Amino acid sequence: MIRRIRNILAKEWLGMATTPSSLLFSVVIPLLLVGQAIFLSWILPRFLAPGALGLETPGVEGLAEVDRFRVLILSQFRFFVLLIPAMVANVFATLSIVEEKVTRTLEPLLATPVRTWELLVGKTLSGAIPALLAAWASAGLFVLLVCLLGWGSLLDHVLTASWYLSLFLLTPAVSIMSFVLGVIGSSRASDAKSAQSLAVIVVFPIFALIAIQVTGLVWFTPLLTGLVALGLGVVDVLLLAAAGRLFARESIVTRWR
Amino acid sequence: MIRTENLTRRFGSRLAVDRLSIEIGAGEIVGLLGPNGAGKTTSLRMIAGIIAPTSGRAFVAGIDSAAEPARVHESIGLLTESPGFYERLSAERNLAYFARFYRAVDAPRAARAALDLVGLSDRAKDRVGTFSKGMKQRLALARALVHEPDVLLLDEPTAGLDPEAAKELRALIDGFRRVGRSILLSTHNLTEAEELSDRIAILRTRLVALDAPRTLREAREERLVRVHATGWNAAAMAAIEAENCVLQVSEADDGVVRFRLEDPSRDRPRLVALLVEHGVEILEVVEETRTLEDVYLDLVREETP
Repeated sequence: MIRRIRNILAKEWLGMATTPSSLLFSVVIPLLLVGQAIFLSWILPRFLAPGALGLETPGVEGLAEVDRFRVLILSQFRFFVLLIPAMVANVFATLSIVEEKVTRTLEPLLATPVRTWELLVGKTLSGAIPALLAAWASAGLFVLLVCLLGWGSLLDHVLTASWYLSLFLLTPAVSIMSFVLGVIGSSRASDAKSAQSLAVIVVFPIFALIAIQVTGLVWFTPLLTGLVALGLGVVDVLLLAAAGRLFARESIVTRWR
Repeated sequence: MIRTENLTRRFGSRLAVDRLSIEIGAGEIVGLLGPNGAGKTTSLRMIAGIIAPTSGRAFVAGIDSAAEPARVHESIGLLTESPGFYERLSAERNLAYFARFYRAVDAPRAARAALDLVGLSDRAKDRVGTFSKGMKQRLALARALVHEPDVLLLDEPTAGLDPEAAKELRALIDGFRRVGRSILLSTHNLTEAEELSDRIAILRTRLVALDAPRTLREAREERLVRVHATGWNAAAMAAIEAENCVLQVSEADDGVVRFRLEDPSRDRPRLVALLVEHGVEILEVVEETRTLEDVYLDLVREETP
């Protein structure tokens, strides 16, 4: 079982490494998002009118108003970073499944002793792991840039328990969700573009999370972050079960077009 | 090696395969013929354990394909209608990838051996995307053989190949019979089926016929004598029709008349003598034998609702 999943992972990663567009995408998207978060943290406080800040990050009392605002902006990166697995995993999923469909490799694959769930797990991990690594690498780059810009003292207020919970629970959950949605979309689509349209299902709720927090409607405490991660985990299990049904041998051979 | 018992498959209300019962022994090639939609590919998929039968059973080396598909996959090699490959990967990597799914297979060695068998060793490191259709088809055969299965299920192995590539592939398939492999060969190519198969199964949802090509032909033998001549006249025809040995006369265009005789070998000289006697100038006399194509078309037409 492990041998077969490892085989799928090795082949998928080799395929990704030989597809310049997917490599470029998995590097460009994280860099853009990190750059955007840093740029907003630099530019927005410049336009802050004194006393205009109605929203406060909890635990920032004693900081200058501009730093309090900067902490608020920097804290949103934990949600920005979720966009990386959402987009990267989805692209990997659709490329992987649509390639199998276009090149008609699924039937010969299904004639080997590989189990369909092994195929699903192998493919899910092959997309979720690089997406997750890209997200974590982006978080590391973000912290590094924050320090280089002289805002290191603010990190105590940014790298909170919620930040780590988001990074290590929410990010994997979003990676898996995005990949599995990509698989489900790909099973019905004949090209990668239409399959990727399902990615918006993941991206919009992430923007909603950012909006909810920035507008001060809800502040994502560690407990709330943990609960959201748990909810996403349940959704992941349900989606995996749905994808498992789509990944039945018979369904692939007779219904996937 | 392969046995099916009343194998049946429905897709909704459509009956794709109806009670197919067939047995294929070791070292035997059975050609599966039938028009499009006759259930050939569905039958192969059920035998390969890729789709389940609605009723009936299929066994490969005594293992139930529906109950234990993974075990069946260890013993079969399936060549699908489209030779799908990962085009950016090399031929060797493609084969090694598929080989690693099998137990006790040294994947790199097996991939090289299979490439050698189909004559593609010199292109092992090249991307499959650069291969011609014929090379991809040979590579697909190598993939089906990479784990050295006892049973081969071949779906249209020479479809779309040029005559030379098709001949090479047929020679390879013929060689597998000699090493004791059981082969079920689905094809539209009647010449290929006749050349390779020990027996031919004609399928049109249900099994219409199953026998050796020669037996199939002989069972439906209508020994006609075709005479191409000039100067046909009513007296000649009347004389011929009066002969007891002439069972049927059918005229065609361009001076061709076909005669069904009781025994063509015995009666043909008498027929020729009568024609000459009545002033008919004979250009050609040929005894027509029925081809497998004739038999196939007859059987398929008879089954058409």
